[in-house]
Amino acid sequence: MNTTLTAVEGERPCDTMGADPSVAIRVVGLKKSFGDVAVLHGISFDLPRGQVLSIIGASGSGKSTLLRCLNYLERPSAGAIWIAGHQLTFDANGEGARHSLSAAQIARVRAEVGMVFQQFNLWPHMTVVQNVMEALIQVRKLNSKEARNRAEHYLAKVNMLDAAARYPARLSGGQQQRVAIARALAMEPQIMLFDEATSSLDPELTAEVLAVMRLLARDGTTMVVVTHEMAFAREVSDRVMFLHDGLIEEDGVPSVVFSNPGSNRCRQFLSKFLG
Amino acid sequence: MEFWTRTIIDNSGPLLDGFRITVSVSIIAFVVAAAAGLIISLARIYAPPLRPLLSAYIAFCRNTPIFVQLLWVAYAWYDIFTWPKDVFTAAWVALALQSSGYLAETFHAGFDSVPHGQVEAAEALGMSRFTALRRIVAPQMLLTMAPAFMNQFIVIVKCSTLVSVIAVPDLMFQAIRLTNIWGEPVPILTFVAIIFIIMIMSLSALSKSLTDRLRLRMAR
Amino acid sequence: MFDLSLFWEYRAILLQGMLINLLIFALSSTLGLTIGLIACVGRLSSFAPLRAASAGYIEIGRSIPEFVLLIWINNVLPFALSTMLGERIHFSPILSATLALGVVASGYFAETFRAGIQAVPRGHLEAARALGMRTPRILGRIVLPQAIRLMLPELMSQNIGLLKTTTLVSVIAVPDIMYQVGIIGQQEMKPLPLYTGTAFAFFLVILALTTLVHHTHGHLRRS
Repeated sequence: MNTTLTAVEGERPCDTMGADPSVAIRVVGLKKSFGDVAVLHGISFDLPRGQVLSIIGASGSGKSTLLRCLNYLERPSAGAIWIAGHQLTFDANGEGARHSLSAAQIARVRAEVGMVFQQFNLWPHMTVVQNVMEALIQVRKLNSKEARNRAEHYLAKVNMLDAAARYPARLSGGQQQRVAIARALAMEPQIMLFDEATSSLDPELTAEVLAVMRLLARDGTTMVVVTHEMAFAREVSDRVMFLHDGLIEEDGVPSVVFSNPGSNRCRQFLSKFLG
Repeated sequence: MEFWTRTIIDNSGPLLDGFRITVSVSIIAFVVAAAAGLIISLARIYAPPLRPLLSAYIAFCRNTPIFVQLLWVAYAWYDIFTWPKDVFTAAWVALALQSSGYLAETFHAGFDSVPHGQVEAAEALGMSRFTALRRIVAPQMLLTMAPAFMNQFIVIVKCSTLVSVIAVPDLMFQAIRLTNIWGEPVPILTFVAIIFIIMIMSLSALSKSLTDRLRLRMAR
Repeated sequence: MFDLSLFWEYRAILLQGMLINLLIFALSSTLGLTIGLIACVGRLSSFAPLRAASAGYIEIGRSIPEFVLLIWINNVLPFALSTMLGERIHFSPILSATLALGVVASGYFAETFRAGIQAVPRGHLEAARALGMRTPRILGRIVLPQAIRLMLPELMSQNIGLLKTTTLVSVIAVPDIMYQVGIIGQQEMKPLPLYTGTAFAFFLVILALTTLVHHTHGHLRRS
């Protein structure tokens, strides 16, 4: 599925996306500034379908910003993104993103890209199962019965089916996050984004969420995971990217990045975690 | 005791009429105050140049005693606006004036009460902003504001007793009138006092149970 | 139309009326605080009947509209007492006003006292106990100072509310400011400037007091 959009002046029109279904995400020259502060200085990478990419780096390196650009929660200042078969294009000169997508088109992209937030963001006035069903009804236009069946299926997958009728306020952090994952999964998106999904959790609760994420990875889900959990990154990812100051400093397979990174900064960063 | 019961039953007609007036003036005042409060708080967000004026209005409504406002509306407004033309209208206008300030502040707090992350989660799932506002923000806002609304209604009911002073035939007016006619203050006034106590206590109990249920559901 | 000169002309009488409001305020506030304190102590006591009675009193105090209680105390209580005691009992309007406003205020004050005391973190009490301090000393040195600091803002707000409520008393012929405004209004046949002036005068006074309370609240919070 391709939405035809105006090609950005000065950039080579890339339509390889349309022709190459094996690439889930393509990012070219992505830049993002908040007012005067430049956070991303030019990010480019391809992510093949079915792969798990972990993004690591210090606070302020731009990891979350990069992730949030992928589903347009942040408007990139410049560069191009192709994601889940859609093209997000912006002005090259960075004068605030004059995007060419309508709100409806953006919504359609987001329906294919699931996101799990650090703060879970479950809706407290709805029960667990209602949380999972809501987008299925409003966005996927399922009827109530279909939505419930699908919701229960995914709640079972994250082991939260028993809590279906409970309210989020009564759940632990780990339980809430698992529900949030089910909520995103139930949309059956092509790609799953995780924005420091375990950073708000107590250590004992982190494991149950990581277990679910491992499960998804094993099932072949395309995932981009911003994380501080180095063990997870090393064991589960197919690829690790180290971000520093809005640029990719290290990009490769875990075995290389973790034991023998080329970048000194990366080495220093990792030494804090892996002793 | 028998004397009391007889007195009250004999006068139950006017007392019931009075009760009806009390209820209707309270409900009308509450609805108008809520509508005014909503408009004011929306205006404060979307019409920045009006903000100082609206803040002054809210301050005036909240800081001026209700009795003063009542007499002002009833006796002075007609000279300025040639309205209100009857005391019943003056009554609910004054009551609504007083509460509109509080309710504007309530709406303001309600708007702020829903964390933006929840809207982001909704949009990340592909919902439009309008759908997110409708399904996620508005319901929570209403739930959060319900206790404050309930309490303000209780305040209005208590203040509605004052309108008897401007000759609105509410329950207090009838009670005082009947006392003056029959010269038996004890049964009638005591009965009416008890009715008010029961009314307010019931509303308060309702409000408390609402607040408790909310805290259970929405505790963050 | 907005000729407030009438308001200015009668300022002496109106000021006298305002003083009556302040008098009623002072009297009923004192009464309310006293009864409220007693009710609060009763409410927190371990003696169940006392606790129930106090809770009942507080609940009724908070549920009854001031105006209703005012009329009842002014018209029913002296009558009932006269019948019971066989003597002619008469309440002066100021007495009725003080009682009515004081009783209602006591209900609100009692709850504020209770909230203040219960808001002192348990941990402070336990730490004091663990250090070997005994209950009365704990109450006096640890609980009370903190409780007072916690309850002061609310008490001040409630007192401002009480001041606003004193405007009611004109209905039982207490010569307060509203009473005077009523008389002058009838004499002069010009209610508009008087009522408008009074409304704005009250607005400014209460606003000033409320702002003062907010500032003190800020100070208390910071210290």
